[in-house]
Amino acid sequence: MSDALENLLKNPRIWRGQAQAKGAGWEGLASGYPKLDQHLPGGGWPQHALTEIFLDHYGTGELQLLMPALAGLSQPREDREAGWITWIAPPFDPYPPALSQWGVNLARILIVRPKQPQDVLWAAEQALSSGNCAAVLLWSGELDDTASRRLQLAAETGQSWAIAFRSLQAISQPSAAALRIRVTAGETGTDLGILKSRGGRPAVVRDYAG
Amino acid sequence: MVSSRKPPAALREASPTPSLKSKSKRARLHSSPEQLSLVPTASVDLPSTRLPVIALRQLWLGAYLPLLSLEALVQSSEPAAVFEEQHGIRKILLGNAAAHAAGISPGLSINAALALIPTVQLEERNLAREARVLKDLAEWSEEFTAFTSIEAPSLLLLEIAGSQKLFGGIKPLRKRIVHGFKSQGFHVAIAIAPTPLAATWLAKAGRKVCIRDARNLVGKLGPLPISCLDWPDKVCQSLRGMGVNSIGEALRLPRQGFAKRFGASRLLEFDRATGCMPDPRVNYRGPEHFVADYDLNEEESDAALILNICQKLLAQLEHFLLTRQLAVQHVEFIFFHLQEPATHLSLGCVQADRVAQHWFDLLEIKFDCMNLSAPIIAIQLCGGHGQRFDAETSALPFNREKPQRYNTSMAHLAERLSARIGEEAVHGVMMVAEHRPQYAWRYREAFSDVPKCASTSFYSRSFDTSGIDTPELLADIRRTNSLVLRRPLWMLQAPEPLLTDDNRPCYQGVLLLLDGPERLETGWWDSEGIARDYFVAKTPQGVNLWIYRDRGKNRNASWYLHGMFG
Repeated sequence: MSDALENLLKNPRIWRGQAQAKGAGWEGLASGYPKLDQHLPGGGWPQHALTEIFLDHYGTGELQLLMPALAGLSQPREDREAGWITWIAPPFDPYPPALSQWGVNLARILIVRPKQPQDVLWAAEQALSSGNCAAVLLWSGELDDTASRRLQLAAETGQSWAIAFRSLQAISQPSAAALRIRVTAGETGTDLGILKSRGGRPAVVRDYAG
Repeated sequence: MVSSRKPPAALREASPTPSLKSKSKRARLHSSPEQLSLVPTASVDLPSTRLPVIALRQLWLGAYLPLLSLEALVQSSEPAAVFEEQHGIRKILLGNAAAHAAGISPGLSINAALALIPTVQLEERNLAREARVLKDLAEWSEEFTAFTSIEAPSLLLLEIAGSQKLFGGIKPLRKRIVHGFKSQGFHVAIAIAPTPLAATWLAKAGRKVCIRDARNLVGKLGPLPISCLDWPDKVCQSLRGMGVNSIGEALRLPRQGFAKRFGASRLLEFDRATGCMPDPRVNYRGPEHFVADYDLNEEESDAALILNICQKLLAQLEHFLLTRQLAVQHVEFIFFHLQEPATHLSLGCVQADRVAQHWFDLLEIKFDCMNLSAPIIAIQLCGGHGQRFDAETSALPFNREKPQRYNTSMAHLAERLSARIGEEAVHGVMMVAEHRPQYAWRYREAFSDVPKCASTSFYSRSFDTSGIDTPELLADIRRTNSLVLRRPLWMLQAPEPLLTDDNRPCYQGVLLLLDGPERLETGWWDSEGIARDYFVAKTPQGVNLWIYRDRGKNRNASWYLHGMFG
C-alpha cells in the first residue's frame, strides 16, 4: 500500500503544493514582516525570480514593503558582498535620506532612467542577467507574457531578484512571475493580496506592517 | 648672427693666472667658516687644465619662456598678474604688459596691486599647470625635431642639427618656431648654441644669438652675468664678493681652486657649456596615440561586415596597449563615406580598459542605435589618451562558491546601460548635509567615490545594520524611526500645488493631517530660502503624503505636495 503510494508520489505529474515547496524549494529572503513571511513559501521573498506588485496609486506602501529586504541585501555580510540595487524608470525620485533611514546602503544604488519605453525592459534584462545586481526594481507600463518570461529567465541566470511594479488593470494578464502581490490601502494599514505564489497558496494579509 | 670672432687670448690660455685681487679674496674666503660650508664635499675627478673642445655635431635651440607662470593661466590683453605666497604674504610674481603699464611690478603685495587697478585679474601661481603647459609645448615641438628636452621650470631644449636641411636652414626654422610660440600666446627668448647649457644660459639672458662653432662659445658666454647660471644665491653672492660678475670672469679663475671652493659639479657645468665635456640629455617623448585605419574595397553598408572590421581594429588597439602596459578610457571610431561627411562614434567607459571584447560590446550597442547616413568606404579607430594600466590580482577560479566581485563587473553593466540610454540617465545617489529637503541629496556619477562629508549623515550613523538579521533590523529601524523625523521614500521632482477646500488641502479628496507640523525655515543666505510647515497627510484612498504649507512671502498660505511615503 505504502509502496504504491510512494510510487504514485514519485510521478512528476503530481504536485503536492506547499509541503513540497517547503521540502525541496528555495529559501526565501525574509521580508522583515512576519505577517507576510508566514504566507510565503520558503518563509520570504523568492530570490532569483520575478515578483510582480500590483497597485492602484503610487505610495500605497509598496516601497515600505520591500525596504527591509533591500536594506539587508545592500549591506555587506560575512558570506557575501554588499549587493547592488538597480532602479529602472522609477516614477518619482527615490529619496536618499529616507532610504538611509530604512538602512539602505546608498553607495550600492544605481538609478537608470531610460528615455524610450522599450529600453526599460532591455535595461532590466541587462541588469538582471549580468549577475551583478542583488535586486532590480522596474516600473514598466507594458509587460506581456513573453516579457515576464524573459525577465524570469534573466533573474534565474543572473541570480537576481526582479521586482516589477504594475498597474491593477494588468492583474488579469498571464505572467511567468513566481510571486504576484496586490497592494491596496486598507482600513488600518496596507493590505496585501497574494494572487500567485509558486509553491504556496493565495492569501490575504491585512495591515502587513502592523 | 653667426659669430666668427676668435675668443680672447686670455680665455684660451690653459691655466690663467688669477689676479691679485681674487687671491686676497680667496684668503678671506678660507677664513670664513660659513662660506666654507658652501663647498660640496663630493668631487668629480676633473683635470686641472682646460680641456680641448670636443667635436660636437649637435645644435641646441634653447627656448626660454620668461612669462610662463602668467601665460599658462591667463592669456588676455587686460591687466592680469600671477601672485605667489611668500612668508605668508601674497606678492605679485609676474604681470602682463597692461599690468606693468599701470605700475604693477613683481614683489608688490596683491592689496597694493588691487589698489592700483581694482579690475586686475589675479591668479595664484599653479606649478602643476605650468609643467603641463611645458609638456604640451614639448609635444608640439616634436614637429621640428626628434629630440626635445624639458628643462624645468620654463625652458625647452630642441636639438635642431638634423632638422636644418628639412626646414631650409636655421633662420627659417627659427622663424617658424618663434612664430609657433607666438601664435600659441607665449613670449619666448630663443638662443642657438652647440651645447645645451650654453643655449640655456644664452636664452635666459635674452641673447638672440646663433653660435654654430663650439670654439666661439667661450667668447659668447663670457659677457653673460652669473645670475643666469641658476646657481644658489649664496654661491652667486660669494662670486660677486670675489669681483666675479660674469661667466667670462668665472672661467678665468684657476680650475682647481674653483672646484675646491664651489664644487667640482659647477666646474663640470662650465666644461659642458663650453663643449669640453659631453652633456647627455633626456629626450622627452609625448604619450603615444593609437590610430589605425581600414580601407574597404568598395562602399559597404552591411553591419555585420563593418562590425567585423571594427573588431579587428580593436584587436590591434588591444595589442598596442598590451605591449605598452596602457589602457584607455575613450576610443573613437570614424566612419568615412564617399559623399557625406564622416560619422563619428565615440565610446567611453568608467575605468580605463584595454580588453577588445569590452569595447566591442559597447560598440555593438551603440552601432545598433546609430543610423548611418551612407555606405562606408573606410574606418578609422583612434585610441584616447593612454593611461597606466592598473592590473588587479584576482584569485584563481578554484572556489566557484565564492561570490564574485561586484564592483568591476558592475562598472561594465553601467557602461553598457549608458552606451545605449545615455550617460546622464545612469547614476548613483548621495546625501548632502542640508536641511532643505530638495537639497538633502543629489545624483552622483555612478562609480565615483562618495565624498566623505556627505556619507556621514546622522541617519546612517544612527544604527549599524551590518550583520543584523532582517527582523531584528526592522525592529531596530522602527526604534530609530520613532526618534528621527520621517522622510518619504518618493520625492516629487518639483512640489505640486494642492487645491484647497475650506482651507483644507485636497489630493484625490480632502486630506487628513496625521503628523506635524515640522517647521523648516532655512536657506535665508541664498535666493533659495524656504519657510515651510511639513505635515504627514493621508488621502481617502489611504496613501500617506508629505505635504507642506508655504509660509513664504505671500501670507495666504498655500499647500504643496512634496513626497509620498511609498
